[in-house]
Amino acid sequence: MAEEHERPEHTHQAGMRRRTLLRWVVGVGAFSSLAALASVLGTVKPPQTAQRGEKIKAGDVLVFALGQNKGAPLTPTSIVPQQAVLAFPQGKAVQDNLIILINLRRSQFIPPTHLNWLPDGYVAYSAICTHLGCTVGFSHEPMPGVPYPHIHCPCHQGMYNPLAGAEVVAGPPPRPLPQLPLVLNAKGELVADGPFDGPVGPLPGGR
Amino acid sequence: MQRQGLGWFEERLGWSGFREKFLDKAFPMHPSFFLGEIALFSFVILVITGIYLLFSYEPSAQIITVGGRSFPAAYHSVTQIDKQPFGLIVRQVHHWAAHLMIAVVILHLLRVFFTGAFKKPREINWVIGILLLLITVMAGFTGYLLPYDAFSVTASGIGYQIAASIPWIGVALAKFVFAGQFPAIGTIPRFFGYHVVIIPLLLIGLIGLHLLVMIKQKHTEPSSSRGRVAPGRLLGIPLWPQQTSLMVMLFLLMTGGLLLIASIFPVHPIELYGPPGPQTPTVKPDWYFLWVFGLLKLIPGWLEIHLGGTVLDPEVIGGILLPSLLILLIFLVPFLNRTRERQNYLEPVTKHPLRTSIGTGVLMLLLTLSAAAYQEVLDISLAIFRLAAVLLPLLVGIATYLAIRLFRGWRSKTIKRAREPLSSDR
Repeated sequence: MAEEHERPEHTHQAGMRRRTLLRWVVGVGAFSSLAALASVLGTVKPPQTAQRGEKIKAGDVLVFALGQNKGAPLTPTSIVPQQAVLAFPQGKAVQDNLIILINLRRSQFIPPTHLNWLPDGYVAYSAICTHLGCTVGFSHEPMPGVPYPHIHCPCHQGMYNPLAGAEVVAGPPPRPLPQLPLVLNAKGELVADGPFDGPVGPLPGGR
Repeated sequence: MQRQGLGWFEERLGWSGFREKFLDKAFPMHPSFFLGEIALFSFVILVITGIYLLFSYEPSAQIITVGGRSFPAAYHSVTQIDKQPFGLIVRQVHHWAAHLMIAVVILHLLRVFFTGAFKKPREINWVIGILLLLITVMAGFTGYLLPYDAFSVTASGIGYQIAASIPWIGVALAKFVFAGQFPAIGTIPRFFGYHVVIIPLLLIGLIGLHLLVMIKQKHTEPSSSRGRVAPGRLLGIPLWPQQTSLMVMLFLLMTGGLLLIASIFPVHPIELYGPPGPQTPTVKPDWYFLWVFGLLKLIPGWLEIHLGGTVLDPEVIGGILLPSLLILLIFLVPFLNRTRERQNYLEPVTKHPLRTSIGTGVLMLLLTLSAAAYQEVLDISLAIFRLAAVLLPLLVGIATYLAIRLFRGWRSKTIKRAREPLSSDR
């Protein structure tokens, strides 16, 4: 009789112990499996690509970015007056380094343009719109409400004034296009005299 | 002979119960009830044409040189698809079917909204339906990049920048979704995965759920069917064979129509657009994104919200915040309604003048914003558009409200007049 009383107590205790053990096994197993998944998340994360290209620095020769002369150095005779071309620093042809090079009359420029960066009336700005990163174009055509000549973005109709430091004259861009210091080297080629005077393209959220 | 064959299956599957339950399911008749089916069949056509494209498409942005010219591999593979027998037309049918699917899903949503079919007990299917719309739009966005031409790269780049403009998490989120700073070499494989595996799976799952809930709850009926059959019964034609033959006809008609449209109106000619280059072509987003595009244009550049150490710039406000707010409101529609009884019949649009006028007002807002996307083509100043975006929706909403009131007044008068001889009889 006494034995029968004891037995259920024993099974009861043993059952509790087994359950606790199982709980621990499941808990530790689930935790370690989840922790192992962290490495999977690491692979889903984009790879760190260093191939964003080098920044522009002093001495970089500017070359045609497209067309039949693509890759050829730019000289003051390369561009017809009142026209523009897209250029890259030689060997650094990545989108963030894209430059819009415009041939205008030197006397027309006003601050905030850096007036000492205008060899032969050439001005170089970043060609990446500060709004959402499209490539800007140059137009000599007058447009209603926009002093011409102007730089315009085809995506959301942002307009910049190239004669006044590419400040925004219409549309959504939040900042002017950064200007590139420009000089002529001994061979008479247009070269950069340093990096852009501000950040290129749109700034990340929250700034 | 045929009976014997069916008997053979019946013996093994015992499906007479299933046949009674599902093949005899009643489909209420109304032209607008085909909208959901058209959306479903567009999806079927998209899957079939998509599988065809899958055989030859190369999901890679690596630059390859063919005949002395360099192209991204994806772009080149699509130009090769265009040269296959039927390749170009299948790709164009795929593109047109995507437009059709989004358009019809939106029309389906409007039908459900204006007839009050979202009310109890169909709130769940309303939510699933909105999710389906959002995922369908995402399918459109991810598929747009895949040919990797100058247009699609520009459009996706703008999408990247808008996502990156979200404070705090924006850049990390955009880099995760696009597999690096766009245009990254990993973007195409990742978008290919979204477009070909993840999004179709989600769509199939949610469409299945949408249909299951619809079968369980039964279809709403036109109000003209009210009282014509016993309560709890549905007036309609059975799935087999009447509705099925209509469905087959509709599917064939759609396939034929899409082939015709694709052969007359070419869409997204990538050979004309060319591969992506340093220059940006003049782009407009697809029509279902035009309202966001217009909104981005109308929001002045100086409008910033400073909030807890961060800045919400106009791109976040117009590209993320306001659209999300609208979508949230659409999600909440059935829960703003407080009626307790079950709604099994369509309501005439005149029954709830406020709901109908809010609906037409919002539609007018979206149309005005979409028109603002073409502001420079229309040559109307931004200031006028800003004013129109506020005034036109209000005007249309109020006009709808007054028109319904007038109509109801006129109708109750005619009903009263019709009853008058009855009362004089007494």
